[in-house]
Amino acid sequence: MKLASPDLRNRLAAEYVLGTMHGAARRRFQVYLQRIADLQTDVAFWEAHLTPLANRLPVLAPPARVWSRIEARLFAFNAPAKADTASGIWQNLSFWRALGLGAAALAAVLMVAIVDIKPSETEPMLTAVLAEDNNDARVYIEQPKSNVLMVKMVKPWRLNSGFAHELWVIPKEGTPRSLGVINDATDTRISLAGLDAKLTNGAMLAVSLEPPGGSPTGAPTGKVVCKGSIAWMPPKSAKPRAQI
Amino acid sequence: MADLITNEKLASLLAQCGLGNRQAFAELYETTKSKLFVVSLRIVRERHIAEEVLQDCFVNIWNNAARYAAAKSAPMTWMTAIVRNRSLDIVRRPLVEVADEDDFFALNMEDLSPGPQDQLAGRRDQARIERCMKGLDGEQLQTISLAFFHGLTHSEVAQHLGRPLGTVKTHIRRGLQKLKGCLES
Repeated sequence: MKLASPDLRNRLAAEYVLGTMHGAARRRFQVYLQRIADLQTDVAFWEAHLTPLANRLPVLAPPARVWSRIEARLFAFNAPAKADTASGIWQNLSFWRALGLGAAALAAVLMVAIVDIKPSETEPMLTAVLAEDNNDARVYIEQPKSNVLMVKMVKPWRLNSGFAHELWVIPKEGTPRSLGVINDATDTRISLAGLDAKLTNGAMLAVSLEPPGGSPTGAPTGKVVCKGSIAWMPPKSAKPRAQI
Repeated sequence: MADLITNEKLASLLAQCGLGNRQAFAELYETTKSKLFVVSLRIVRERHIAEEVLQDCFVNIWNNAARYAAAKSAPMTWMTAIVRNRSLDIVRRPLVEVADEDDFFALNMEDLSPGPQDQLAGRRDQARIERCMKGLDGEQLQTISLAFFHGLTHSEVAQHLGRPLGTVKTHIRRGLQKLKGCLES
């Protein structure tokens, strides 16, 4: 990587911020970034200008455990100090409590790490965030097993609205296929034989308003209340990544 | 509500975090978590990894909050960049399949009226990049949007679009050049 030319330097900075560098290329770039002040200026330019685009994404709240873990990692060992130090640290209940918390946090981190390196399912699994037109996320969908979809409420609908909420998969080509009626205000587990076949070539998921019991025609008949594109999580067959 | 939080408020929360105010940190997290989580989820694709990214980033934000003042960018931009960087650092994704329509959101930018959430980013920064994106041609916009929102490499973009790698590299390079000219004007 020659960085003599300002143009090349700026172009690489742009690609770095854009996200086209992964793995080794990215790490190599970061070594240069530590050392070359002009490169830092270029990266700062692109970060300041490109990053606000991310503001257009729909929103989705992370689960509460994320905050508990952040707190555990940062503050578990900083429990408010006891005024009475004479009793010593070994008698200090808050110290032991903090240590316990810290250990729990560490265990949680290790567990995540173990889950992380476990070979993943062999079939592609999907995730999708379905948002309303104003970009507010309504449901989050994931596929824990090949024949199961979990529909998780982000923002529940009003109960007894007189409508059923029906979930559809919209293939790249062809007509929407029903995945069934989902609950208005609670999570829904959809377990369907042949689910994978139904999802084949799925590009989007959408929820429409239908008469109670679901669409009478087998195709969406009412308003689409939220939709989102499908991200497929493919098996982790390691494949060398193209370097820039 | 999060939607109404301004940059000044976020900057003030960050300043208080720099002084060790845990209450301010909790408020900062509540205000920004949902936006930042999606930024990561788009790139890493797996929910438990996006959760880890968010944890790591907030630990980082707490530890570096005192240094924010030197960053000279809008607070949301600063935090989003931290989350994007961390996500791109750990992403491993051997195959690519992303649905088309929201990658091309930029093509329909005219249809997107500014939402209340826009106050979170520097409003002017956002207006400027969106104006400049509109000046790109279709192929440039498409390739750059795919790379940015999903963190795809050149070859992943090429694979997704079924185009030769060289063509994709050219679109991205020329698009970025054009953006630079526009952003600097």
